[in-house]
Amino acid sequence: MDGSVRLDEVVMRFGDFTAIDKTTLEIGSGEFFSFLGPSGCGKTTLLNIISGFLVPSEGQVFIGGEPVAGVPVNRRPTAMIFQNLALFPLMTVFENIEFGLEVRGVDKRKRREVSERLLSLVALEGSGSKKVTELSGGQKQRIAIARALAVEPRVLLLDEPLSALDLKLRQHMRAELKAIQRKTGITFIYITHDQGEALTMSDRVAVMSAGRIQQVAEPRTLYRSPKTGFVAAFVGENNRIETRVIDRDGACVRLDGGALGQLAGRAGEGSTLANGEATALFVRPEYLRPVSEADACPKFAVTIEAVHFEGAWVMLETRLDASGELLRVQLGTELSRRHVEELVPGKSVWFGYDPEDAVVLPDDGGPVVDEATGEVVEASRSGAAHV
Amino acid sequence: MFRQLRARFGGPLAASILALLGMWLIVMVTLPQLQMIEYSLRPNLLPAQIGGPEDQLTLANYVTLFNNEIHRAIFFKTLWSSVLVTLLTLAVSYPLAWYLAKVATPRQAALCLLLLIIPFWINEILRTYSWFIILAFRGPLNEVLLMLGLIDRPIRFLNGDAGVMVGMVYAYILFMVFPVYNAIESLDDNQVRAARDLGAGTVRTHWRIVIPHAKPGIATGCIMTFMLAAGSYAVPALLGSPGSRWFTQIIYNWFFEGGNWNQGAAYAFLLLVLCIGFMSLVMKVFKVGLGDIAK
Repeated sequence: MDGSVRLDEVVMRFGDFTAIDKTTLEIGSGEFFSFLGPSGCGKTTLLNIISGFLVPSEGQVFIGGEPVAGVPVNRRPTAMIFQNLALFPLMTVFENIEFGLEVRGVDKRKRREVSERLLSLVALEGSGSKKVTELSGGQKQRIAIARALAVEPRVLLLDEPLSALDLKLRQHMRAELKAIQRKTGITFIYITHDQGEALTMSDRVAVMSAGRIQQVAEPRTLYRSPKTGFVAAFVGENNRIETRVIDRDGACVRLDGGALGQLAGRAGEGSTLANGEATALFVRPEYLRPVSEADACPKFAVTIEAVHFEGAWVMLETRLDASGELLRVQLGTELSRRHVEELVPGKSVWFGYDPEDAVVLPDDGGPVVDEATGEVVEASRSGAAHV
Repeated sequence: MFRQLRARFGGPLAASILALLGMWLIVMVTLPQLQMIEYSLRPNLLPAQIGGPEDQLTLANYVTLFNNEIHRAIFFKTLWSSVLVTLLTLAVSYPLAWYLAKVATPRQAALCLLLLIIPFWINEILRTYSWFIILAFRGPLNEVLLMLGLIDRPIRFLNGDAGVMVGMVYAYILFMVFPVYNAIESLDDNQVRAARDLGAGTVRTHWRIVIPHAKPGIATGCIMTFMLAAGSYAVPALLGSPGSRWFTQIIYNWFFEGGNWNQGAAYAFLLLVLCIGFMSLVMKVFKVGLGDIAK
């Protein structure tokens, strides 16, 4: 059973609006693949193109190596889990799960066998005769999964299925989804705007913005080596500092931080950084640590503005003394305990980092940030990378 | 109810609202009906005999229907034809309601609704007459069919029940379209998408997902259409042939031509019982309660 999916130069336009810019992508059979991006980035559109609900304006989709152009939704080897689950409220759990088999003309006994087996897969044995309206959120979730699996899809498409659940349940369901995927070996294509979900479950993640795939990589690579400013800012937290290249020695780049003095970082993967080029240096809050002025590593002089105790860590909001810009620093409890006296609002301190941990990318003018929520919503138009 | 009304409108206004409502129900609905029943249980007498020894309560007026073969046949024909009208109206309205609720853009839907409603600005008699003209032996419909070569000679549409059916479907379509439209409109699009995604074709998606969801709306539409059809007078009078008389025409004749109000009242009451019986049956079959219909 080949559940690979290939998008070949797929473009989706709605009138003048380009929802998906020319996208080419390969998803392996049996892979847990996520599309991660803010709302409106085109990820749901892509899912609808794969499932057949939308016909791409240009390009081809292949499932299991076969082109699926002209194959209607009800004949594709895909099954979708909808954001609101879309369980059939007038049917029992059994009827829901068996719907796809009923459509295919499978006889009643065989249907019941399959649904019993799937109910045990999702750990809901014995609730087949219940109405779906009697189930809890998490149970509904599992029935939706069972219903989709009943038709033995080669590809399961999941459209933010966990977004309606509360935090604890969501985390639990992540593990469960991953386990079901491993057990069944079906290709999972997962849509989310929640990076935690994408990073914890996926084999690979495609980060999308404004209809373009910014980067496709394994979660660790994505986190460690973002290829574009958008990915750096959207995945995890990052401090963005504008700099200029002094010179470059392999991956190691020396940077002119203006008033911040000389800085350094690791050149982003595949980026060509010419001497003198404007760049953005990305340093994650957790890679910063308290240092003394005498330390040789690149460092920033800051004044602490606020200290947020988060339990497992402490988040500091500080201002760079040279530019007045915000620098966020995250310290593990142990580090923060050791420095507890210095780390109080109003104190001036130094924070340094290992150049290996900081990524240097061409300056793309910075991502677009939603003023109300502070979330990154879009890559800057100038610097979006083509994959 | 009084308490809610008082909270909103104050005591005196609430009391008068309820009083008006009560007046309406008692004076305009209940009392005339009761009087009808009273009429139906008395023999038709000359004014001088009223209150005399012959003025006894009797079921004779009801028995008339069961002894008169022609009237009985028309009674059941009316029942059957009304069921047919209801089913035809549903068949025409369901696709229309689906289109309005789920397929059309808001502009298209608004335009379509307007086109549906405008004819209803004209009164029912005139609308029915227009069908009389359209369906006439030498009318435009026959002309068009002849011109297209679909028929060799004109068809007598107004001879049997066909004219009545067409006229009634047309007259009552809105009473079916709106409840069904409302019901379908409230269906989550993802339900339909999910059914498609799981492999269901168009027919099965409608049969298993859309129709069960729209059931209360369909039941409401069917009940209204049936009641209106069974109680219709103008359409069968204008578009019907002598062979396709409606029970309402017989009731009319008892009242205004036979001058026998007592007999007419008994017939009218039987028709009312029939309609209520049918309504309960439909509600039972579709498993909908009064509350669902009021929605």
